[in-house]
Amino acid sequence: MRELYTIRFTALRLSREWIVLLLLFGVPIVLVTLFSVILADIEYMGVSAVDETNVLMVLAFQLFGGTVAMNYIYLDFFTERRYRIQSLPINTSLYGFTLMLLGTLYSILLGAILVGYSTLVWDVNWGNIPWSIFIITLMALLSSIICLLLTFSVKKFSIAERLSEVYGIGAILLAGLFFPMPDNAVINWVNEYVNPIALAYEAVDAYRNANVEDAWMNAGLLGGLIVITFVIMLLLGRRRMP
Amino acid sequence: MTIFTFALKRIFRDKSNLASLTLFPIAAIFLPANDNWPLLPYGYQFFGVLILFVAIRLTGLLIDDRQKGVVKRLAAAPVTHFQYLFQNLLAFSVIVIAQCILVIAGGVMYGNELYEPLWLLVLFLVFSFTAIAFTLAWNTLYRNKETSFLIFMAVIMIIAMLGGLILPVDMLPDTLEKIAVIFPTYWLAEGIEWVVLGENIGDFLLINGVLLLYALLFLIIGSIRRIG
Repeated sequence: MRELYTIRFTALRLSREWIVLLLLFGVPIVLVTLFSVILADIEYMGVSAVDETNVLMVLAFQLFGGTVAMNYIYLDFFTERRYRIQSLPINTSLYGFTLMLLGTLYSILLGAILVGYSTLVWDVNWGNIPWSIFIITLMALLSSIICLLLTFSVKKFSIAERLSEVYGIGAILLAGLFFPMPDNAVINWVNEYVNPIALAYEAVDAYRNANVEDAWMNAGLLGGLIVITFVIMLLLGRRRMP
Repeated sequence: MTIFTFALKRIFRDKSNLASLTLFPIAAIFLPANDNWPLLPYGYQFFGVLILFVAIRLTGLLIDDRQKGVVKRLAAAPVTHFQYLFQNLLAFSVIVIAQCILVIAGGVMYGNELYEPLWLLVLFLVFSFTAIAFTLAWNTLYRNKETSFLIFMAVIMIIAMLGGLILPVDMLPDTLEKIAVIFPTYWLAEGIEWVVLGENIGDFLLINGVLLLYALLFLIIGSIRRIG
């Protein structure tokens, strides 16, 4: 149980990371506020632009939540600090999982606060809030797993960091948030079955429109991605973790 | 020009730098256009954002030099601080100039509707100098390259949006529309609008003049901190 005791210290460590807080919380708050002011009263195909943009914005920032777990695993297991960690009377693998768990919980917490802020202050319609937080949880978990998978797959951590940015920005680009993507069969397939942000938005939107079956299907696809990437991460992690 | 040569070598030695400096501008050429807004294809509308990213990556080398004590050692070398700064900035400028030429020439050859490609090139070049000066000044605030880069990423998103690169400035509320004028990105967006719709050359000169004034101001701020 000593491993669980470390959670408190990891949480303290996290609370001092003000840059993470700025990037994963400060920036989305500013953007949600700006978009809510700018897009008020604009509707596109029957959907309020404020609702659509803000839901996508909050979900998009979940794609980068995995960087917390990624950085802590790297610092504690792949730098000189690993010798200190290994000399502790704890199960280091379990400690690694607590780091991942806390990074994911932190991302979920920030996401949930953003959902609350956008709902209470700007009246953004999330449909069912517990369901939206469940989808945010899936997104945060997937992001942590993918970031760790990247950490274990390449030798240089800086490359893993760049790849995690490619994952986040690539998903946003493919979902057509910056500009409309061409009507291509491959891009459509990726957005329908693989792209986490497109799946998460569809899940939230379907539940909002009382299309529960569709919502569960998209959440199930996200769950499937989590299972597949988790298995790959475990296999790679067992090889790479000291 | 030893420092200039080494600055170029340092930049191109980093493979991720090399990829971002070449692949992203090429990708920008092939991005689609929209019917109403933006007036130019997306790659050209967002090119200013890319220039800011490139500029912060390039000028980050100077923070590295401060961190590693290179600037202190330079004080003992037969090189003036002006030569060090000038040659580094020249190397960064050469890279962004090459990128701007690549994007405009590539766009013309690909058949993108750029209206006045030469004026657009001038605008992008002037904005590139402003971006380099801005990031130089920004970096003087930090001791760590990564911290500077991460916070600047957040700043880029906000100034790009408020400046009118992501959304038209007309959509902003009146107060924000007035505040937008203080961001260099606003003048870039105005410049792009001039390239597409403008007639009076005086307006274009004013836009570039403001950008150059910003460049001069940031250059002065950025070159004050010598050793740190």
